[in-house]
Amino acid sequence: MAIAIDIQSVSRSYGPIKALDGIDLSIKAGEFFTLLGSSGCGKSTLLKLIGGFDRPSEGCILLDGRDVIDVPANQRPVNTVFQSLALFPHMTVAENVGYGLKLRGLSGASLKAKVEDALDLVELPGFGPRTIGMMSGGQRQRVALARALVMEPGILLLDEPLTGLDERLRQQMRDEFGRLHRRTGATFILVTHNQDEALSLSDRMAIMHKGRIEQLGVPAQFFEHPANSFVARFVGIDTLLKPERIEMRDNGPHAIVGGQSLRLRAPVATLGADSLVAVRPDRLRISESIDTADLVLTVVATTFRGLQTDVRLTFADGQSLVAVVSSDSPAATMKPGTQVPLSLLPDAAMLLSGSGMPPAA
Amino acid sequence: MNRRPLALIASPLLAILMLGVVPLVLVLVWSFWTWDPATYWIKPDLSLAGYSAILDAGRWTVIVSTLLKAAGTAALCVVLAFPIAYAVHFLSGPRLQTLLLALITIPFFTSYLIRAFSWRLVLGRTGIVNTTLQQLGLTQAPLDWLLFSNFAVVVGLVASYLPFAVFPLVLAFRRVSPDLMAAAQDLGAGFWRAVLTILVPLTMSGIFAGFLFVFVMVAGSSTEVQMLGGAGASIVSVMINDVMRVANYPLAFAISTVVLAVIFALVLIGNAAFGLASLFGEEER
Repeated sequence: MAIAIDIQSVSRSYGPIKALDGIDLSIKAGEFFTLLGSSGCGKSTLLKLIGGFDRPSEGCILLDGRDVIDVPANQRPVNTVFQSLALFPHMTVAENVGYGLKLRGLSGASLKAKVEDALDLVELPGFGPRTIGMMSGGQRQRVALARALVMEPGILLLDEPLTGLDERLRQQMRDEFGRLHRRTGATFILVTHNQDEALSLSDRMAIMHKGRIEQLGVPAQFFEHPANSFVARFVGIDTLLKPERIEMRDNGPHAIVGGQSLRLRAPVATLGADSLVAVRPDRLRISESIDTADLVLTVVATTFRGLQTDVRLTFADGQSLVAVVSSDSPAATMKPGTQVPLSLLPDAAMLLSGSGMPPAA
Repeated sequence: MNRRPLALIASPLLAILMLGVVPLVLVLVWSFWTWDPATYWIKPDLSLAGYSAILDAGRWTVIVSTLLKAAGTAALCVVLAFPIAYAVHFLSGPRLQTLLLALITIPFFTSYLIRAFSWRLVLGRTGIVNTTLQQLGLTQAPLDWLLFSNFAVVVGLVASYLPFAVFPLVLAFRRVSPDLMAAAQDLGAGFWRAVLTILVPLTMSGIFAGFLFVFVMVAGSSTEVQMLGGAGASIVSVMINDVMRVANYPLAFAISTVVLAVIFALVLIGNAAFGLASLFGEEER
């Protein structure tokens, strides 16, 4: 049965370094939850604490309401797919998958049947007698999944399981995770630095940074309402502009950037010294004429990206933003220096606090 | 054809042939020759006198007890080396690792003679162990079996040859990712279960290599037995030395050949069973 997780003000310090700093997080039973962040943000540490491979310095972790801090890894209803997969190289595929069941006392026909079921589940029927060395990268991934899922865990932890696979296999395994989540109904926790994985799979996700959770919610929220400029940049809203001032007008708040005004999504937070205006590239349009345009910017460069082309445009003060246009459109071949009229769709620009911002790259 | 690889391998090959294979073949051949009282040397008459002499005067018991001593010491060293290798590989950071390995190497800095002798000071009637035991009131009189006994010999041998078991084991542990132990525990194994089902099988080549190294060293040792063993204690190398003193070369060579044969058999069996060569292979994934 799926198990709910409650993480209450958990911190983990390694000497002077705080890997986790007061994490509060509730994960519902049966949820597909993703911890997203760049390396060193503490996401793997949090996973280790849930798996029982490490103890928090402070706080407690409850599984279905029961404090499990003192329960060792081998007695938790949690199984892990390790980043390195950690398949036992001296055992066959079937022995790997059956390892945990054997420890539970299963043997003979019932063990064999369960192992075969698990291999069927990950679409590796008949691969039992093979050695690990004979399996390809994607197949090993599936063996590791089968080995964890055969234990019928209440919680499945996936620690960057797709790192090191090529793009096609990643897509394939990503779909596989979704399918297995629906099939098993277990609570899945995925740790990744890849936002595509997080967005396509998760019911909810959290973005972590420096041992803290920057934002928690359903994936769409991260685009509609990024909590701050760090989150915005992490989910791919790369255009972050420093406003000169904020003006309240009849039709709503406006940010003044490089002498031009951008209509902001209302309501706006108070302008701080580190506030930034985030502009969603999907809500920018190149308009027909200068008269109806919200902004008029100058082309700096165009970058061909296949089906789409990035057009980098600059304000009078040197700040720039990127508009994404179809590679077929005339805008894709504009020369640097061309004046381009732009219109903003509603809620294209938002005022965000700059907290959590890494130093500008 | 490129002749460079041939040139590169020629000198080490020559060294192995001259320093290793040729002496062994001579020992083997001479063990079947006859001792000539006229010249005090050997002559090429085929004879099994050397081998039959092994059966005289209880010489075979010395061979057997040497092999048992070697096997026992080797097993003990492996049992001690395993947790050492575990600590070095799994529990230490890079700096502590270097320090620990350096500490393990220190026994090699002093001569075997000094090391064996120092055990006399520890284990003797007025040694540290006996005085401490008496001061604590655990014993009334000094324990006599501590020194000049098989116990003392084994202590001395273990102290001398433990590093030979530690290094192959550390090498074998290097190929075991800590994730494998974590995975075993994740799947429900307790610590000891994980050690037995994951760590031991994956380090078998190192366990056997360590056993073999210590076995070979003990089979050829003499100092520890002479310094720490009782009056009747003997070991093959001491016996060979005695036999050489009366110039019975074929017997000395025959004894050597028997011991060599046992060790060769061990190497071949071990290699077939545990794949010693894999010790130097890539990390297992």
